[in-house]
Amino acid sequence: MDYALQQLLNALAFGAEYSLVALGLAVVFSIMGLVNFAHGEIIGVSAYSVFLAAALGLTSPIVAVLLAVVAAALAAVTFERVAFRPVRYAPTTTGLLTAFGVSIVVQNLFMLLISPKPQSVSILNSLNQMWFFGPFAVSSLQVLELVVSGLTILALVLFLNKSTLGLAIRAASRDFATVRLMGIRANRVIATAFAISGALAGIAAVFILARRGSVSPDLGFGLVLKAFVACVIGGFGSLAGAAAGGMLLGFIEVGLLVALPQEYGGFKDALTYVIIVALLVYRPEGLLGQRIELGDKEI
Amino acid sequence: MSESAEIMAARPSDTAPRAGNPQFHRSLVGGLITALPVVAIGLTILAFAPAYYTHLSLAAFVNLIIVVGLQVFMGNSNIANLGHSAFVGIGAYGVAVLSTPLAMKKLSIPNAPFGLALVEFNPLLAALLALCVVGIIAAISGKIISRLSGVAATIVSLALLIIVHSVFLNWTDLFKGNQAFFGIPKVINLPAMLVASVVVIVIARLFKDSRWGLQLRASAQSPQAAAAFGIDARRLRLMAWVLSALICGLAGVLFAYFAGTISPKLFYFQQIFITLAMLILGGMATVTGAVTGVVVLSIGLEFIRSIESGVTIAGIQLPQLLGLSGVALGVVIVLCMAFRPGGISGRLELDEQLSRLFRRNAR
Repeated sequence: MDYALQQLLNALAFGAEYSLVALGLAVVFSIMGLVNFAHGEIIGVSAYSVFLAAALGLTSPIVAVLLAVVAAALAAVTFERVAFRPVRYAPTTTGLLTAFGVSIVVQNLFMLLISPKPQSVSILNSLNQMWFFGPFAVSSLQVLELVVSGLTILALVLFLNKSTLGLAIRAASRDFATVRLMGIRANRVIATAFAISGALAGIAAVFILARRGSVSPDLGFGLVLKAFVACVIGGFGSLAGAAAGGMLLGFIEVGLLVALPQEYGGFKDALTYVIIVALLVYRPEGLLGQRIELGDKEI
Repeated sequence: MSESAEIMAARPSDTAPRAGNPQFHRSLVGGLITALPVVAIGLTILAFAPAYYTHLSLAAFVNLIIVVGLQVFMGNSNIANLGHSAFVGIGAYGVAVLSTPLAMKKLSIPNAPFGLALVEFNPLLAALLALCVVGIIAAISGKIISRLSGVAATIVSLALLIIVHSVFLNWTDLFKGNQAFFGIPKVINLPAMLVASVVVIVIARLFKDSRWGLQLRASAQSPQAAAAFGIDARRLRLMAWVLSALICGLAGVLFAYFAGTISPKLFYFQQIFITLAMLILGGMATVTGAVTGVVVLSIGLEFIRSIESGVTIAGIQLPQLLGLSGVALGVVIVLCMAFRPGGISGRLELDEQLSRLFRRNAR
């Protein structure tokens, strides 16, 4: 029973992290159709700024967390301004390849300017402790991940539903032209979407740092690939789909970890992707995506 | 002329590739003209360059074949494919497992399943078998990918890359995992590679100009209009995917046969970055673009790599700059996409550009 609960918590914590990152991708995609491969490098920028701040003598974990979120949001807005604005009205493939290019540039800049080797960051280690509830021992990090992700998603939903800018963002994901006709600035809507996406990535970066205790140039890349897969199973562009897809991915991964014998543990990633691709055979549009027929104007 | 209009002009019955068909003839000649610069470069290297450059150019020719293969799918269907290195890897490991001499296998993979440790095919048969495996895996993955919308298809192509890489790493009995797989017979030299490159370029051009290529390009431009003409875009995407995979698989086979030693990390993101940047820089709409991109970036990257490893300029020793070539590749992709999405060569093939030039001069 104890074991089962522990694994359930594992799955929820992994799922929450994937959901956070996948939501960041979906917010941007739903508005401007950009497949943001550079999202992992936003996580990277966030983690490296904590690393640099710690190297310069920062000791307070709370400041480090704030710094991570702010740096990520700034990085996201900067990427948009510098790289994605010129291709805003270009076809999806152009945007996708641009983002891929940005991702390569930033990863290699980390390598060039800091080091290709992982660097240790211990400032956030205090988040990762063992808590005891009667007979149960749980990792504080996993509980935090679950709670913080839940609260963040709640805040995002409230923002999107209650504020004018949130309303504009939701409207923009359906018909950008009309939103602009209503007198709302396109640049502001898109910058806000990127800032939200970045902040979500920053929160994820905090958890990654607390768990790994180190930074490396490809820190966010693998995670973002998984988040993309979460988006695809959820239905690309659907926010609820991204969150659900992330959770599902967490459960599939932990399920495989439990089910696979030790010596086949290396096949976990391969099998995860196989299961997901198999899901797509039955629902090519994703679990929560809608089948869009050619010529449909209203989605 | 837009592609949908071309489709109207070209009825299926009279575009089937058969000998004597003027369209087929023109594509064949066009493909050969496109391959001409490659042949020229190859022969120059063969005649004058020292051994070190011959080796470098062999690697560049492998990249050329990969990029042309990538163009077959990306250029015609306009869907980004980020998983083509999976097929390069399957081709390379296929011949590694099938053609490595028995004595060498006893050392490297003594416990290979299905009795594969006890077989040794001649290189040609091994290559054909490896390409069969590539074809089967491409057909299965293509079935799935051709059903998806553009973005989802790209993500699934990435998933395929990760699946294949992870199998190479973890199926140690068959693929030796992270260690280098050595002892593959080195049977490929520069002339053979040159012939393969020309054949691949011509095939890519013939596919692009064929009825299927034209229909696929039309469906990428306007899915609705193409569907109205009764074009089955899924079937065409599947066809392009399999052809593209076979060409990439061939590149892998050739790579294994000239290098003699392979390891999984050769067929992963690094290769994807380089080949993708080459295709984008050259222009993915044309086979000429693929060739141009490879030539330009191969030379450029070699220059950057020499700086990267630390050079001495005017008596000052520069430090090692690891990651510089990566930054350059990324910058090339980003700048191309922002300022010249069509790449260097744009929409016209080399022979089309030339004939346009001559026509203008004659006037």
